Amino acid sequence: MKITFQINNDISELESLLDQLQVLEKKWSLSRKTSAEINLVLDELITNIIKHSNCSKKQPIDLTLTKTDKKLTIQLADSGLPFDPTVCKLPDTSLSLENRTCGGLGVLLIRQFSDCWHYKRLKDRNILTLQKICPKECG
Amino acid sequence: METTISKENNTTIFALKGRLDSNSAPQFEHQLQDFLATPATHLVFDFNNLDYISSAGLRVVLNTAKAYKSGKFLFITCAMQEHVQEVFEISGFDSFITIHRSIDESLSVLKG
Repeated sequence: MKITFQINNDISELESLLDQLQVLEKKWSLSRKTSAEINLVLDELITNIIKHSNCSKKQPIDLTLTKTDKKLTIQLADSGLPFDPTVCKLPDTSLSLENRTCGGLGVLLIRQFSDCWHYKRLKDRNILTLQKICPKECG
Repeated sequence: METTISKENNTTIFALKGRLDSNSAPQFEHQLQDFLATPATHLVFDFNNLDYISSAGLRVVLNTAKAYKSGKFLFITCAMQEHVQEVFEISGFDSFITIHRSIDESLSVLKG
């Protein structure tokens, strides 16, 4: 099972992402929790691209989601500046309040809610592939 | 996201409804501006109707906690849904931000 859609390069598009995922949750019988986790992962990745990649509004982000048995594969492709989130430094969550900063929280959440990810730069595009193993309550 | 601001005795309550993400975080941050510049009451974020939080929302919460760190007023969060609380715990925020089960619990602590 495979679905492909585009997200325009605008932060208000997070709502259309939510709409797409709600359709998918039903179609693929995902649990509410799994679908919320996928939403968070994609929200963080798309927000990053929109805020930092310097993409023009005319260059949408391409998303492909594939489900085979219990494995969900998510691929994002954007035409922004080269950026590999898989090598970002994770924040130290044991630090005290005065020493904590805001950086890296998004990447931390992506790491937590996906099982593996891979980055490549291909034909001036960032291609990020993530995999998530769905728990058994998902259809 | 909808925000309802109310005041009870010495406490300002922000009740959040909906989704706190990079789309809604800037407006929320703007609403908080005056409270964070010079805290004059205790502050409670009531998350009872908050369905979703992303790192953009966590940033606002972290900045709020920092603004309240050194003064005499307290910052407390309460009534988190399971997924929101999980995100807080993954981020390690539960080690320095008080999380109560309900708004009543927060208000009774702040009253005493």
